[in-house]
Amino acid sequence: MIAENVVFGIIAAAMALGAIGVVRTKNVVHAALYLVVVLAGGAAQFILLGQEFVAWVQVLVYIGAVIVLFLFGIMLTRAPMHPKDSLDNDLRWPAAVTSLFLVGILVGLLVHTFHADKVDVQRPVRTADVTSSIFTTYIVPFEVVGVLLLGALIGAVVLARKD
Amino acid sequence: MIGAGVTPIAHAPVDWYAIAPEIALFAAAILIVVLRSVARHDPKVHQASMLIAIAGVAASALFTGVQWAFVHSNGPYQAMSGLVAVDGFGVFVKSVILGATLLALLLSGGYLRREHLESPEYFALMLCSATGMMLMASANDLITIFLSLEILSIALYVLAAFDRRRLSSQEAGLKYFLLGSFSSAVFLYGIALVYGATGTTRLSGIAQFLAKIVLLHDGVLFVGLALLLVGLGFKVAAAPFHMWTPDVYQGAPTPVTAFMAAATKAAAFAAVLRIFVGAFRLYDVDWRPAVFGLAVLSLLVGSIAAVVQTDVKRMLAYQSISHAGYVLIGVQAATDKGTSAALFYVCTYAVMATGAFAIVMLVARRGDDRHELTDYRGLASARPVLAGLLTLFLLAQAGVPLTGGFVAKLSVFSAAIDVGQYWLALVGMLAAVIGAFVYLRIVLAMYAPPDDEAAPEGPRIVVDAGTGVALTIAAGAIVFLGVVPGIVLDFAHAATQLLAR
Repeated sequence: MIAENVVFGIIAAAMALGAIGVVRTKNVVHAALYLVVVLAGGAAQFILLGQEFVAWVQVLVYIGAVIVLFLFGIMLTRAPMHPKDSLDNDLRWPAAVTSLFLVGILVGLLVHTFHADKVDVQRPVRTADVTSSIFTTYIVPFEVVGVLLLGALIGAVVLARKD
Repeated sequence: MIGAGVTPIAHAPVDWYAIAPEIALFAAAILIVVLRSVARHDPKVHQASMLIAIAGVAASALFTGVQWAFVHSNGPYQAMSGLVAVDGFGVFVKSVILGATLLALLLSGGYLRREHLESPEYFALMLCSATGMMLMASANDLITIFLSLEILSIALYVLAAFDRRRLSSQEAGLKYFLLGSFSSAVFLYGIALVYGATGTTRLSGIAQFLAKIVLLHDGVLFVGLALLLVGLGFKVAAAPFHMWTPDVYQGAPTPVTAFMAAATKAAAFAAVLRIFVGAFRLYDVDWRPAVFGLAVLSLLVGSIAAVVQTDVKRMLAYQSISHAGYVLIGVQAATDKGTSAALFYVCTYAVMATGAFAIVMLVARRGDDRHELTDYRGLASARPVLAGLLTLFLLAQAGVPLTGGFVAKLSVFSAAIDVGQYWLALVGMLAAVIGAFVYLRIVLAMYAPPDDEAAPEGPRIVVDAGTGVALTIAAGAIVFLGVVPGIVLDFAHAATQLLAR
């Protein structure tokens, strides 16, 4: 248990530093790369909890797709690739207050509700179990995602075509 | 490679009847996309895809009717491992959504031709969105509700921005997209917290869990519930989550605005009723004050802000916020009577909103930009039938007797009074009076003499066949709902009793 707690602490610290980096840096590309640290940390935490499938989904979807999409977006839209002072605006203090408020509520809430509960990490969830629950219990959401993707695809074509 | 120790997945039995209405709509959408790619340059594709879309709606309505017959004789049940509820509630909301979709499709054909926007994808997206709404109406599971919310929203973001040459349409799409995805994220967080508190995402499972177990630490549940309310409040355009509504309703192509106002509200209120009145009925002491607040704010903000507008489309957009407030009065009662009143209101609003926006679409003419109050001057002498119809729809929205709007308002007020919420009913009546002032302003402008020398005569108002049919249906329906409301009221009442909990 101690080793797990230590590893958790290290990863959590790295994630927090990465998250601060995302909002502190004046370079959009650097912000995207800091976000990789945060998301990879999330994946590592999932592995620590024995959730290998969710961890790899996190890597594939967030780091593999979302961040790459960010970088493509930055490159294709002539966004500033070099450091820029104008990234900050007047709303930084209201934003800070709002996010601190949110952190306070969520942390307080989770600590208050689950303070003594221990997560059972001895028994990792097998990917096969995830699979069978997707194809039996959650078959409707799984199929419905297909409708969602097709709708998004048609929408993207409509918005992007020239005519 | 299937070796030893690998058990094949046991497939859950698929209940095709439970999802047939959604499948019919989506199949029509796929057919349109296929047709579009096979016969790309054929000018008839546009016409054909509209017909396919209407056929899809008709097939879906047929399957919904079959479901109703089944539920009526055998009672409600849960299908697909409890994720889909087949009950009268779902059938009622699905009928409203299908009706609103049919009217929006009929309006769209002529509109797209007039604006030179002919494109089969429009119909595919509209059917996609309707599929999401239908699924939302019958979903018995928070994850399914979230996904259907996303399906209906993503298609609507694109539809709102469909007239890409108009800057206001682009703005509408982008604004709706940014705020909509933010609210979806809020809703998703709410689902996560509710799951954390109850251990299930099934609505009936949540209700059973809460009936059996008293939570010692219910903070997670409450914050989750609050986030769900915020996410859905955005979708039904209830104040204070209404900021996007005027700009999006105004900028979107008018048939899309009609579709958004009528069908999206129906679907989102179905989710509100299923989640709050259905799954969290035992916690109504806790969520009713919040819904009370939303209702009061929506009623007042919607009707007061509409007074100072001079743009008719924008006025109707603000009024749609206050109409959401009336439905919330019914939700807030948290009784069967309140639920059936909310259902009846949603149904009536779908008809009167579509009718009013249809006339707005016609008066706007080519370019979709004549929405000012001055553009309506002299409409009564130029096109008396159109002016008369708009008067009918506006009086219905104001709640004048002999129209569906009167019965709808009466039933939500009486549901509120039944549970002792006199103040809420009073605020509702106040909002109705302010609303009547707004509507009379439009009516008076129409019946004012045309200022002949000021505005040069624009292109003639052309009523195409589809719009004519849609207007006839809407006008007939609103009078029918007002004169013989019993049939639909009974249906709405039956829908609440059969709600699978």
